[in-house]
Amino acid sequence: MSNLSMAAAAPKVRTSTTPPVLVVVGIAVALVGFVLPWLGLPRNILSLLTSASMTAILATGVGFLVRQAGFSSFGHAAFYGGAAYLLVLMSVYTGLSGEAVVLLAPVIATLAAFALSFILLRTQGVAFSMLSLAIAQALFELMMRWRDLANGEDGLRMRLPREIFGLKLSFFQKADTMFLVSWSALIIIIVGLVLLSRSHFGTLTLAIKNNEERARFIGFRTLMPRAAIIALSGLIASIGGTLFALYNGYITPGLLHWSLSGEALIIAIIGGTRSVWGPALGAFLFVILRDFAGNYTTHWQSIVGLVLIAVVILLPSGASGAVSSLVNRIRGGRDV
Amino acid sequence: MLIQILNGLVYAGLLYIVSVGLVLIFGLRRVVNFAHGGFYMVGAYAGYTAAMVFGFWGGLIVAVLVLGLIGILLDYVVFRPLQNADHMVTVLVTFGILLVFEDVVQMIWGADTLSVLAPYPFDGTVQLGDILFPVYRLLVIAVAIAVALGLTLWLRFSRAGLYVRASSVDALTTGMQGVDTEKLSLSVVGLGTALAGLSGVIASPLLALSPSMGSSILIESFIVVVTGGLGSFAGAFIAALLIGQVHNLGIVYVPNVASMLPLLLMVVVLILKPTGFARSYS
Repeated sequence: MSNLSMAAAAPKVRTSTTPPVLVVVGIAVALVGFVLPWLGLPRNILSLLTSASMTAILATGVGFLVRQAGFSSFGHAAFYGGAAYLLVLMSVYTGLSGEAVVLLAPVIATLAAFALSFILLRTQGVAFSMLSLAIAQALFELMMRWRDLANGEDGLRMRLPREIFGLKLSFFQKADTMFLVSWSALIIIIVGLVLLSRSHFGTLTLAIKNNEERARFIGFRTLMPRAAIIALSGLIASIGGTLFALYNGYITPGLLHWSLSGEALIIAIIGGTRSVWGPALGAFLFVILRDFAGNYTTHWQSIVGLVLIAVVILLPSGASGAVSSLVNRIRGGRDV
Repeated sequence: MLIQILNGLVYAGLLYIVSVGLVLIFGLRRVVNFAHGGFYMVGAYAGYTAAMVFGFWGGLIVAVLVLGLIGILLDYVVFRPLQNADHMVTVLVTFGILLVFEDVVQMIWGADTLSVLAPYPFDGTVQLGDILFPVYRLLVIAVAIAVALGLTLWLRFSRAGLYVRASSVDALTTGMQGVDTEKLSLSVVGLGTALAGLSGVIASPLLALSPSMGSSILIESFIVVVTGGLGSFAGAFIAALLIGQVHNLGIVYVPNVASMLPLLLMVVVLILKPTGFARSYS
């Protein structure tokens, strides 16, 4: 049994290495993104893509946690919305400079994720999902009810100086320029995660995911690497949330609601969590299709529910898995 | 103060009925049913509509039966075919079901909140000391106690209860001893969802009906189930009592941060005892 699962673990790592064609396509897509604002796209499409790229960052964080640790978080809105709230609250209540506020928001959210990870790691499997959901929802209720702090349901507007990081604040609030910022962030995150998952740390965490007890048995500490993965995943989500707050300049408790957490997890799964880039692909598909479907039906939620059920049963590797195996088949290679 | 504790007991009773349904299903199928809050909501709406024809109590019976059938269907169509898949797959499928249910309920009954009156003869109030207390709330407590008592007796003293307890510890071995665990979980999942339907109807005169009513109780019942220890009946009972009180006293005395209190309680329990109040089977 033990040899078997060891052998089963090995190809899993290998399937994550993408075929060279896909790498070329990926680089092309990344570059196309950087010229997108100059292609004369309609304003609403560009702002749709800008929010899609922020959702993509959030989903990448959620998907990375599934991929690298096997935890399905139902509470990542806590980090996404949490960072957004931190940014706005600090901009309103503290005298910190704009730069400090923008940088501190994701840092504090990440530290919170790191601290929470030790509680989350006391549970396993589905209890992790339940607990993450409960934590995020408690934060949502807190912001809803504590009206003196964050104005409850009506939300709060941020107060930043006109210039941060030597750029006008409007640079971050216009779709064409903000798209460049969040697209760059997304690309950096994905490249960083690909490199990380090929490092020693990446393979170690995969080994822990496959069998925590055995990893411990052969002499690795398993608590810290898992806590680091949760913190990293929280960092990614909170970068997305920070960008969102900067872009919109406005926060409401909806950013913390479980439906956003659930959406991020669904996006990650539909996009496919076996690859690092799958959730990002899922986010663009999801946001664009939702906008498209909005013209024809009010039952988007049912569609999402049914697609989720279909994907987890029929296509566990998601859209990115489908793309990978399609590319492999075209190249005449073996189906992964 | 007595009133606050009674109100806490009312909420604890609702939480217990929802949570124990989750525990029943988890015991047999090792799956946490994310659609459980959705079932609670569907139960409330089904009871609301059926009550127009059959009255409140008729509506209650209809809702319990409908939800029991949904549970049997759920076990047959989802849990049984997926029993060898990763448990997370099944959990995600139940999450998908929750999304569909919320949408369907909104389509049929609309997004507005609906309210239900407490049924005769429980629509009055009763004098407790120098304060008037709604009789219906006492009835909710009584129903929760009846459910707890009935379940405990059934689990302890009936043959089926013995099988359920055995399957909760180790379904495979129980199956090898000749117990038809497939048939057993069909009825246990049905019972679990029927309880969700029951709590939905019972809750409807207390709380307003809305398509999102399921998610808030689902999340608190998750806290109850994790604090009590996944799969533990007694743990769920104690945790529901505690969290019902904490929830209610929090809302009364520290409304700003009330939502954090049940969570903090759970965190403390998890730090002291990672498996919750009882032994965890996960």
